[in-house]
Amino acid sequence: MSSKWLAKRILASFIVLAAVLVLNFILFRMMPGDAVSTIIDPSFSPEAKENLRRIYGLDKPLFEQFLIYVREMLTFSFGLSFLSRKPVWDELASRLPVTLALASASMTISALLGTWLGIKAAINRGHFAEKLVLRASAVTSSFPSFFVQLILLMLFAHTFPIFPLRGTLSFPQPQGTINIFIDYVWHLALPVISLSLISFGGWALYVRNLMVRALSEDFITMARARGLPPNRVNLHAFRTILPPIVTILLMSVPGLVSGAVITESVFSLHGVGTFLLDAVSSADYPAAGAAFYLLALITVTSNLLADIAYGLVDPRVRIEGRGE
Amino acid sequence: MSYKHIFSVFFAATLMFTALCGTSGASSRIDIEHVRGPKINELSMIIISNPDAQILAAEAGDIDILSDITRPTDINRIAHNKNLTLTLARGMHAFFLLLNNKVFPWNDAVLRKAAAMSVDRSGIVRMIFGGYCEPINSWLPPVSPWAPSNSAQDIYDPKAARALLKKHGYSWNMSGVLTAPNGKPLPVMKLLTPLARVAPTTAELAELIADSLSSVGFPVQTEPMDFSAMISVIDRKDYSMALMAWSMGRDPDSLYSFYHSDMDVDGGYNMTGVHDKRLDRELYSLRHAPDKKSAAKYAATSQKLLAEIIPSVPIYSRFSVSAVSKKWKNIFTTDKITADNIWTLLCAEPKDGKMRPMRMLLAEEPRNLNPFSASTAYSWQVLGMIYETLLSTNPYTLENMHGLAKTWKVSTKNTTSGQCTELDFTLQSGIKWNDGSPLTAADVKASMDFIRKNKIPRFFDSVKNIAYITTSDNNKIHVVMNGVSYWYLDNIAGLPILPKKVLDAIKDWQRWDPLDRAGTFGPYGLVGTGPFAFKSYRPGEFLLMKKNKFYRLLEAK
Repeated sequence: MSSKWLAKRILASFIVLAAVLVLNFILFRMMPGDAVSTIIDPSFSPEAKENLRRIYGLDKPLFEQFLIYVREMLTFSFGLSFLSRKPVWDELASRLPVTLALASASMTISALLGTWLGIKAAINRGHFAEKLVLRASAVTSSFPSFFVQLILLMLFAHTFPIFPLRGTLSFPQPQGTINIFIDYVWHLALPVISLSLISFGGWALYVRNLMVRALSEDFITMARARGLPPNRVNLHAFRTILPPIVTILLMSVPGLVSGAVITESVFSLHGVGTFLLDAVSSADYPAAGAAFYLLALITVTSNLLADIAYGLVDPRVRIEGRGE
Repeated sequence: MSYKHIFSVFFAATLMFTALCGTSGASSRIDIEHVRGPKINELSMIIISNPDAQILAAEAGDIDILSDITRPTDINRIAHNKNLTLTLARGMHAFFLLLNNKVFPWNDAVLRKAAAMSVDRSGIVRMIFGGYCEPINSWLPPVSPWAPSNSAQDIYDPKAARALLKKHGYSWNMSGVLTAPNGKPLPVMKLLTPLARVAPTTAELAELIADSLSSVGFPVQTEPMDFSAMISVIDRKDYSMALMAWSMGRDPDSLYSFYHSDMDVDGGYNMTGVHDKRLDRELYSLRHAPDKKSAAKYAATSQKLLAEIIPSVPIYSRFSVSAVSKKWKNIFTTDKITADNIWTLLCAEPKDGKMRPMRMLLAEEPRNLNPFSASTAYSWQVLGMIYETLLSTNPYTLENMHGLAKTWKVSTKNTTSGQCTELDFTLQSGIKWNDGSPLTAADVKASMDFIRKNKIPRFFDSVKNIAYITTSDNNKIHVVMNGVSYWYLDNIAGLPILPKKVLDAIKDWQRWDPLDRAGTFGPYGLVGTGPFAFKSYRPGEFLLMKKNKFYRLLEAK
């Protein structure tokens, strides 16, 4: 991996970000209506609506609005939300911990569980274990997430009240940091389990296919012929499928935030997903612009990290990198 | 229709009947003049955004008051729960079929009238809402004291609609499609509706309306559309038919906004584009009525004209439905308000006598508790318990009753610069803010001046015609408004009143966050005169309120 290659990738990432920045502005303004036009309230006259537009800065020429928008995005100030009149950054910051906790925990569990099951299925090809993993993966990943989550909510928060119905904190609030932490984990358990349940199947199927292919490679036959123990052979095979796994893992990071929308809605969680949904549906330009910009930033960074990680785990990429 | 369906409609009708007769089991008639409270020391507002989780939480006893239940399945479910009491009331919500009066064929009043007679409202109420709403035939919801007595009558009569069309020269072609008197067949008309994903009931409703109209020969097709796009198309009058619902205010003055030709402007609410000189005259008189008597007269004549012109077709009005735990007594309901009201919060006590906080549902995050920029119903669900207004609403009649002001008077006067309206209020004595300081007329004046000076959009229309305000004796406020309108009273009396000292300390009204302890853009705290004071807020989880120990209606110790 040469520094020239890295510089090129970083430059490409900036170009993508700039394009997203521009499109983010244009697409929202191209949509019919704005945050004011959807107000239907007889006590809000056309004059009052114009006044509100002026306060939101929507009366300014489009180019001036664009310059303000670019300045806000580049300085990460993001301005005030139309809906709440609070700094967008503050609102995002207050919601980020829940989304991060939910996304990272569910991704870790589903990736680890899926990978483990995928490997088990591949090395037990044709056996009951493989069939079980394939069927279970196909079933869990084919149900819509809101359906699975609602069923789990009804079952484990109502019929058998093992988990709480909503939020991340009990009411009345427990006392002491440790108790609050335990309460937090208890509240997030069902959302995390449900998200993991929905997504582990995809991982298992993907890893199983990669592993099956790897196990049929010549070098594996050679390793077996040399009398290496099965675990060693499987480890060799697993090492060869690591690059695509790492890539998929990093590439799935941006999707976690958008995927959190449904989970946060079902479990009434105070996260970024529901914030994004509210912002888009109410044409809250500053909030939606900031949320999409951050999503783009996460996507571009994840892709860049995936490229770098690919180079680190696959020697062939490093050689190609030097050759450039 | 299945037996189950028939039973559910019968059940809904029985429930509605008992609720409207005031015998829903929640409360007998309470003398509101002598209400003392709040009895509870704490009010916990639990934030649950998922409607399914809200129902489950009420069933599990996690919340005591559940508001705004809209799905018939949820209503039936709650109605059968032995731990909860369901309360129903007629609501301010109204749903309309908008017709573009400016273009062919809806520029013909005969056709609009025939369309109004062709929509099976009772069928819609039965099929889609399981009976939990009522068909309407008026431009104000039946609960409004200004609505005509026959406002909930269903005028569905497809035979009469056909006869009316025939009488006015309309005919039907071989395919059964209507043809105008000039021989021009009616074009296929698109009925705009929000996307099923966003408003599933409305999408279903659109299909039923299209079927009803098609059976009389109107060639109608439904066209689902994003809501913002739909509003934009309606604003440009680039549509034929659309479905739209809104919540009306208590006063008939809103008719001016929806049907006066002056409101057919960019950002105006005359969505049907109706221009009728007679209607304009009546609506203008209604808006500028000098007193209640003439307001009632013009409200009646305006609505009579609307029934003749039919710019839009009223379809139904949804009931307000809420549930309350049977563990509480003195729950306050009338045929006009459900249990989730301020009177309940003043009167309610645990049945077992062991005082505990009452838990109320907050269906969304309030997000903003700045009374000048808060725009959502959820923010005002909280702020409405902290801030009070000069007058409040009688829960039995929906008429004005005393609030911060004990007396009020509206009069008109001729001046050299034209006619003006004078509003005189006298404050109740001994009212204190929740920090213990006394409320004075200067606070009321300062609140109005603050809104005027900053042109705060939410309240701008209420104060824009103020000529000047004077105060006297520390408890008298005299407001002079340019022009004549009886509705000035409700506009001014509905403004939130804040302490002058707080208003003087606000540096930036838009950025002011009353929960910001640093006081960056204004003072910390929500200082009001309402029954509750803010205690704490945990975003996404709950908001806690405590009894305002200086509240004017507290029981004497």
